[in-house]
Amino acid sequence: MSAGVYVHVPFCVTRCGYCDFNAYAGLDHLRSRYVAGLVREAELATPEWSRETFVSVFLGGGTPTTLGVEDLQSLLSRLRSTVDVASDAEVTIEANPDTVDRAKLSGLLDAGYTRLSMGAQSFDRAVLAALERLHDPNSVRRAMHAARAAGYANVNLDLIYGANGETLESWERTLRVTVDLQPEHVSAYALTIEQSTPLGRKVQRGVVPAPDADLQADMFELACEVLGEASFHHYEVSNWGKPGLECRHNLGYWERRPYLGLGAGAHSYRDERRWWNVRPPEEYLSLVESGRLPIGGDEQLEPSEAHLEEVFLRLRILEGVPSSWVEDERSAPFVASGLLLENDGALVPTERGMLVLNELVLALAG
Amino acid sequence: MPAVTEPTRIRNFCIIAHIDHGKSTLADRLLELTHTVPDREMREQYLDKMDLERERGITIKAQAVRLAYRTSDVDHELNLIDTPGHVDFTYEVSRSLAACEGAILLVDAAQGIEAQTLANYHLARDAGLVIVPALNKIDLPQANVEESRRELAELVGEEPNDVLAVSGKTGQGVTDLLERVIELVPPPSGDPNARLRALIFDSSFDPYRGVVAYVRVFDGALPSRSKVRFMATGIDSDAEEAGVFAPEATPVTSLDAGEVGYLVTGLKDVHQVKVGDTVTLAGKQRAQEQLPGYREPLPMVWSGLYPAEGGDYTELRDALDRLKLSDAALVFEPETSQALGFGFRCGFLGLLHMDIVKERLEREFSLELIATAPNVEYHAVRGDETIVVHNPSEMPQPGTYDRVEEPIVLATIITPSEYLGPVFELCQSRRGELLEMSYLSPERAEVHYKLPLAEIIFDFFDQLKSRTRGYASLDYEPIGYELSELVKVDVLLHGEPVDAFSSVVHRDKAYGYGRRMVDRLRELIPRQLFDVAIQASIGSRIIARETVKAKRKDVLAKCYGGDITRKRKLLEEQKKGKARLRRVGRVDVPQEAFIEALRIDKGDRTKAGTRS
Repeated sequence: MSAGVYVHVPFCVTRCGYCDFNAYAGLDHLRSRYVAGLVREAELATPEWSRETFVSVFLGGGTPTTLGVEDLQSLLSRLRSTVDVASDAEVTIEANPDTVDRAKLSGLLDAGYTRLSMGAQSFDRAVLAALERLHDPNSVRRAMHAARAAGYANVNLDLIYGANGETLESWERTLRVTVDLQPEHVSAYALTIEQSTPLGRKVQRGVVPAPDADLQADMFELACEVLGEASFHHYEVSNWGKPGLECRHNLGYWERRPYLGLGAGAHSYRDERRWWNVRPPEEYLSLVESGRLPIGGDEQLEPSEAHLEEVFLRLRILEGVPSSWVEDERSAPFVASGLLLENDGALVPTERGMLVLNELVLALAG
Repeated sequence: MPAVTEPTRIRNFCIIAHIDHGKSTLADRLLELTHTVPDREMREQYLDKMDLERERGITIKAQAVRLAYRTSDVDHELNLIDTPGHVDFTYEVSRSLAACEGAILLVDAAQGIEAQTLANYHLARDAGLVIVPALNKIDLPQANVEESRRELAELVGEEPNDVLAVSGKTGQGVTDLLERVIELVPPPSGDPNARLRALIFDSSFDPYRGVVAYVRVFDGALPSRSKVRFMATGIDSDAEEAGVFAPEATPVTSLDAGEVGYLVTGLKDVHQVKVGDTVTLAGKQRAQEQLPGYREPLPMVWSGLYPAEGGDYTELRDALDRLKLSDAALVFEPETSQALGFGFRCGFLGLLHMDIVKERLEREFSLELIATAPNVEYHAVRGDETIVVHNPSEMPQPGTYDRVEEPIVLATIITPSEYLGPVFELCQSRRGELLEMSYLSPERAEVHYKLPLAEIIFDFFDQLKSRTRGYASLDYEPIGYELSELVKVDVLLHGEPVDAFSSVVHRDKAYGYGRRMVDRLRELIPRQLFDVAIQASIGSRIIARETVKAKRKDVLAKCYGGDITRKRKLLEEQKKGKARLRRVGRVDVPQEAFIEALRIDKGDRTKAGTRS
């Protein structure tokens, strides 16, 4: 089965208030050790993955572009020499618009990073401030132009909606600017408040209001409308791509294909087993440098857990759940109320259904 | 063992006082003064804090303590009898008073007479007790001795200089008070040679010894081990031990005419040993007539108790059975609610009693309970037939009965005169009818109102306190049933009536109840996948409505990076949460919504105070 590799780069210039990913500011001194550690981990993992061909590589973070072009180039080439990465693999790198320019982007493309995913988040300064993003909306425009000039033909823009103070009008402007920039792919995420983050604590203390779920629902519907008109294919709850340019790597997660995660806190999955690396970069490094797999925990999925995941993921990517999996009386009320469509023997959520996907999952997974 | 005491040397008395007027502290001084408790063992509020967990001994509170006191070479046996502390227990108070010949009427010199002082005074006077008035806390700087003395003298119809002034704290005047009790309170009368008749004025359940009765012997003698009969229940039993509290439980060979003590009945169920019943000897020595005044305990307030977890029904039943062993006033029968499942309709003496029972069930038996809104007992009359309504769902449909009657109480309120206006307003708003008003002094008034019981079981007392800056006091007693304009208000979720939320209320209050429930539920019902109408209705007429708008968004935004484990766990949590929902028609209602919607706010609670 075609697998994917995820490579986690935990470095950031600063931490954003809403982000609960395994990312750290101020660990720049670990960079070159970390790159070597990733390669070492790939070598340690090879025996188990030797028969796998990887059709996608995804460098996420953190901010992978905090690493220099040389490091990134050497990382990818050494990875390719360690595990079997298909020659036409989709190789994505996440980029912060402030950490890239045309020269760097040319270097990345030359190094084999074929797909660029940029954290734009919003084109409204006030919204960016509410998200504690340091960049200027114009830097996204500049980075986009630089990417095109460097030759990138597959660019994603990440957006976040529902931050404190964002209105439906502001969101519409962000969507319009996004469409005007003509990316191949857009990910639009409703802002989710994670309790462990600085923003989560502010919401708990009542300093910042929690996002209004109804407004976020309106924003979702607006995204469906604007992106749909611009002929994006809505193929996952939060993802839109030009036909044929859906993110192959992320589809791998949702289609339950195997993936190898490298780096601090990265998750791997194969044969209904999921395991994850230790999160602190230093601990991760000390383990791989002493020749040990840096595994922090694992789980073997019970059939019921695997079933819940399968229903959940199938509904997310609009592949839907085969009608034969679900008794009619369970699904009928949702079909009748327009949350599910019966399509070619599958139960597929409508746009409204996607918004209440958790309810659908729990009802259909039993 | 204490020797038999001549009845002429016995005095049976109690102390009646409003809460916090210093009864327990005065009792401490009496224990000290009579050397009933050795000095080194003395501690504050001795009787209240007696170790309840003594092994194998009697583990219940000393409701009557024997004091020995010597005056002019005469040894006296003084029995100090405790009275229950709350307005819910008027009948029990009356039985305790019936065991006495006299009462110290104790009034805080800084506070003056309060409603419970008055209520208990009237009960004591009606029971024919000799009243020994005394002012307490005269050591306090804010004590207003002269004013309070005048007020108290006027109440009991004596001269002000007949009112003793004492300090339970310093002991000042306490010896005089004790001497006054011996002087004024008559010794018990009763025929030592007649057949045994002893009044049960209280009872308790001891885990080792079973039911213990507190008794006052009127006629004859109660031997320590004897076959006894309980006259009202007709039960015979082999009593195991008679004794007195001195203050420890001390066995005696017999309790004789005029004496007060305890009887280990040999029975295991408090319902066989009823307060107010008469103990006599079984067989040929049996007395012919019961002592007067016996009454079955009458529940005044009803509520449905349901386990929050439906599976705990059996545990709740067992817990109620166990509790009933030590609570003679608790009654219950199984009932079923569409919304709450299987539970019990329970009858209580009052709201305090209901709180005590609910708290014991939760604490001692680790049960989580949903209590439906408490209601009084209504009578729906149709021709010759009276339908007794303990649960709003038993209320017949409008138009199918001739009339409804509700219980009425006579309420006594004492308030500083400056707050009379607010007190009138409150009582008027509670459908009260002013019967009588008089002044205890130019500054303090006594008001008598006729009020529906249903109107004072919720928030009346707190309202009274807040409108009078805490100065007013309240007491009430039931005086029967009267015709009333009552209706049943139903609450509907998405068109389905929820029986647990129905209530019988006065027509004028129906909208208020409906509006309050609808507003509360609007906050408590989580959004569903469809709009949920919340309605209040009288019969088919909707009187209030709110809508919980359909939930539009419930989805995890991001699912990439491979950490699907965490997302699955979030879904599993959500699924567990759903399992705790109760389904009413199509609407999922959390347990907490039932608990919260039925919660009596701090502000709607009547604590008619403790009467001590």
